[in-house]
Amino acid sequence: MKVVLQNLTKVFPSRNKKSGEEVVAVNDFTFEIPDGKLIGLLGPSGCGKSTTLYMISGLQKPTGGQIFFGDDDVTELSAENRGVGLVFQNYALYPHLTVKQNILFPLQNLKGADKLSKQEMLERAFEAAKLVQIDNLMERKPSELSGGQQQRVAIARALVKMPKVLLLDEPLSNLDARLRLQTREEIRRIQKETGITTIFVTHDQEEAMSISDMIVVMKLGVVQQIGAPQDVYDDPTNLFVAKFLGTPPINVFEGEVKAEKLYIGAAAVLDVPGVQDQPVYVGIRPEGFIPNPEGPLTCNLSGVDVMGRDVSLVTTHEASLNPVVRSIVDADAAKNANGITVSYSLKPHKVFLFNKETEERVYFEVK
Amino acid sequence: MVESKHKWKAWLYLAPAIVLLLIFTVWPIINTLRIAFLDGYNMLGEVGGETYSFGIKNFTDVLDEYSGFKEALVNTLLLTVLTVPLSTFLALLIAVCLNSIKPLQRFLQTVFFLPYVTNSIAIGMVFEAMFNIIGLSPDAVTAESWGIINNILGLFGADPVNWINLNSSYWANMTVMVIYIVWNALPFKILILLGGLQSINKQYYDAAKVDSTPRARVFTKITVPLLSPMLAYVVITGFIGGFKEYSSIVGIFGDDMKAVGTDHSLNTMVGYIYDALGSNEGRASAAALILFVIIFVVTMINLYVSKKKTHY
Amino acid sequence: MTNQVTLQEKNLQTVSAKQRVVKIIVQVLLYTFLGVMALIIVFPFYWMIISSLKSTVEYRLPVPTLFPREIMWGNYVEAFSAANLGRLFINTVIVGVVSTLLSLVITILSAFAFARLEFKGKNALFAALLATMMIPGELFTITNYITVNNFGWIDTYTVLIVPFLVSIFYIYLLRQNFMQIPNELYLAAKVDGTGDFKYLCKVMIPLSLPTLISITILKMMGAWNSYVWPRLVTKSEEMRLITNGLRDAFTDMSGQANIPVQMAAVAVVSFPLFLVFIFLRKYIMKGVSRSGIKG
Repeated sequence: MKVVLQNLTKVFPSRNKKSGEEVVAVNDFTFEIPDGKLIGLLGPSGCGKSTTLYMISGLQKPTGGQIFFGDDDVTELSAENRGVGLVFQNYALYPHLTVKQNILFPLQNLKGADKLSKQEMLERAFEAAKLVQIDNLMERKPSELSGGQQQRVAIARALVKMPKVLLLDEPLSNLDARLRLQTREEIRRIQKETGITTIFVTHDQEEAMSISDMIVVMKLGVVQQIGAPQDVYDDPTNLFVAKFLGTPPINVFEGEVKAEKLYIGAAAVLDVPGVQDQPVYVGIRPEGFIPNPEGPLTCNLSGVDVMGRDVSLVTTHEASLNPVVRSIVDADAAKNANGITVSYSLKPHKVFLFNKETEERVYFEVK
Repeated sequence: MVESKHKWKAWLYLAPAIVLLLIFTVWPIINTLRIAFLDGYNMLGEVGGETYSFGIKNFTDVLDEYSGFKEALVNTLLLTVLTVPLSTFLALLIAVCLNSIKPLQRFLQTVFFLPYVTNSIAIGMVFEAMFNIIGLSPDAVTAESWGIINNILGLFGADPVNWINLNSSYWANMTVMVIYIVWNALPFKILILLGGLQSINKQYYDAAKVDSTPRARVFTKITVPLLSPMLAYVVITGFIGGFKEYSSIVGIFGDDMKAVGTDHSLNTMVGYIYDALGSNEGRASAAALILFVIIFVVTMINLYVSKKKTHY
Repeated sequence: MTNQVTLQEKNLQTVSAKQRVVKIIVQVLLYTFLGVMALIIVFPFYWMIISSLKSTVEYRLPVPTLFPREIMWGNYVEAFSAANLGRLFINTVIVGVVSTLLSLVITILSAFAFARLEFKGKNALFAALLATMMIPGELFTITNYITVNNFGWIDTYTVLIVPFLVSIFYIYLLRQNFMQIPNELYLAAKVDGTGDFKYLCKVMIPLSLPTLISITILKMMGAWNSYVWPRLVTKSEEMRLITNGLRDAFTDMSGQANIPVQMAAVAVVSFPLFLVFIFLRKYIMKGVSRSGIKG
């Protein structure tokens, strides 16, 4: 089922009653989530991503805008009547019930025509358990499970009632690094198998990029960019998005455009056709550097991180806004990087310019 | 931990407490046990040089038909069995309701805690006044004023009841005591249960909501099980308190522990023990031991049941 | 997983309208129930106060008035003399203050020993003390009654104060609080050459003030509300405490008692408790939720 958010807005009254200031958690969010896709809501904490998720679930009421499931306006519908599945950040498994009872719980709430016989409920519960591979743990209590197992139970509980939409709140944040990798693949697989429109929230860009069909980058309640992960990475609309996506993070320099040439410091590093003269921020992806003794951008080399096939050159540059400038280059190309400085030429499609005032993207023609 | 050179110093700090405890806590345990088994022991008698033989006469005396212990036991049991479930249920209901409202929550919470900080004798006298009938005719047909409770009941069309006055019935007296004891027991139970409710993770309720769980099911399948340790605590302390009921009855009916002109005693086990003091300490001790055993057994049963029933 | 539950079958408009109506009804029921229960809780206090201000004639009217027509402050004057409240009030204050102060000192010293000092048999002793909390107080009262008779303490302030100075519950409460203070503070003080006693006064006590206040309030309330023990160990009415005076002065159950005066006396006894409740509620609730012991 597709989910449509239209001008969705959530304003919280201020905690401090006297000042009367309001907090806009989500501001004018419009987005159509296609049926059967996996969507990642991504942003730093306090960006309104969880609030958006809770509004879709019905646990929080929007102060403005509308939510549609398919063609149905569900904005006024409370969580009980929406039929969504929600996996909480800390799972919220009922501690006094066994895994089986936890998974059966939503089914036992079905009424009227949807009511199931005991046999059907058990079958559905085991089916869901099998899907997340916990069917051998059905008689345990949540306290007897590891974090990863609890996570699976929570997903099974959300899936068992065959929700129209599956919502996951920071699904991986309580898992250790190894489990995190494994679980995110699992989520991708389960989503593919069930075909349920799934929306998950995360602050970890790597996690979102790796499994989502589409990502939504948010900041302070405002949507920054929506798109397929690779598209957003390759073509960020503003400095925030460019900085938020990618590991190692993008390198940002102070620069200036003069006569359609981009200057970093005194060096003209790139031709930027069609850009008016102005001071800019220059974002260069780590993979956008080509070591070249003749290259125009010269940095002071401070270290080399060997990563196998590639190496990461750690350098400094006085115009850089980051403490270090990090480039990822071919190991062979870096062999002669043993001097005090290293010079680069740049890949134009890995270089982004941003207006210094608005931090919005300034486009130039890439030849 | 730092090794103190002067280990005797710790005992210096403890000395005042230990001296007092030896006299007023340790010795009583030994002595009460001793005199419970000295037949017909009497304090003045012992001072006068009388000696008593070892035996169980005190216990047989206590259990004797005429000593009034059986009445006291029945009264105490009835009061406990009636008031504990009633007050626990009401407190649970109030706590759950309080927990699900927003405006006025703090205010109402304060109001419900009010009876805790009261003098049970003093407010017992207020209950006495509220149930009291003024100028009741000997045939119990007319009265000057039927009292505020009867007046309020009259608004709902009920006939006036002779609650506590001359010739009032045992069950009328009992009802008044139950009402007062429940009223008195509510604040503590509400405080504990509300605290328990507020410590339940809100997400369980959100999860239940997303899964379209009906209210009643949320209550029976989530709230009550997660609250069960608190409920057990409230019930156990309720039983212990119930078996030691005394001063609230004094508050309503006075030292005599009975309504004027009636034959039935409203005495409780604790009242029985105090009555025996000053004349028959041996019997008082025997009764106190019996009370202790009853409380101990009931508490153990409670703990056993709650261990089976409470989760985690 | 197919055959998803569909919303289309249901009429969305009716569902959301219904859900709003249910919500309103539930709210109305909640507030009605709580309101009625709150009235029941408060009513005895209301009745006490208005009755204490009525004339005997007005109080005996067949149809009761909900507010006194003429306010009779005189009832309070009469109450003071009828129940000898003045004298009993002084007794209660003396007993309450002295026993609270002594009790605090003893409790602090023992809690400190149990929390911070090392000595042989500490844990066994503490466990034994806790075990005595299970025994009903009446069992102690019997022998204590005999003991104070033998000591010749009857009809003295001593008998009202000394037997209840040590409360294992308070020691337990304070020890728990002391234990929460990081041990490093104690070690640091030792290194600096601070003695145990100085450390106790300068660090432990200030940090445990809320618990000490809770103990103080509960102890004062205990003196104010005590009934059984003073009645047992005092022969003369002048030596009794305020609650005794209250009950003993008004035992006329013939229905002819001067109830307004009686209610005035009850109000006098209840008033300080209300003050404590209003200003120190927080501390009481904290103490209570950890104890389950009344008064």
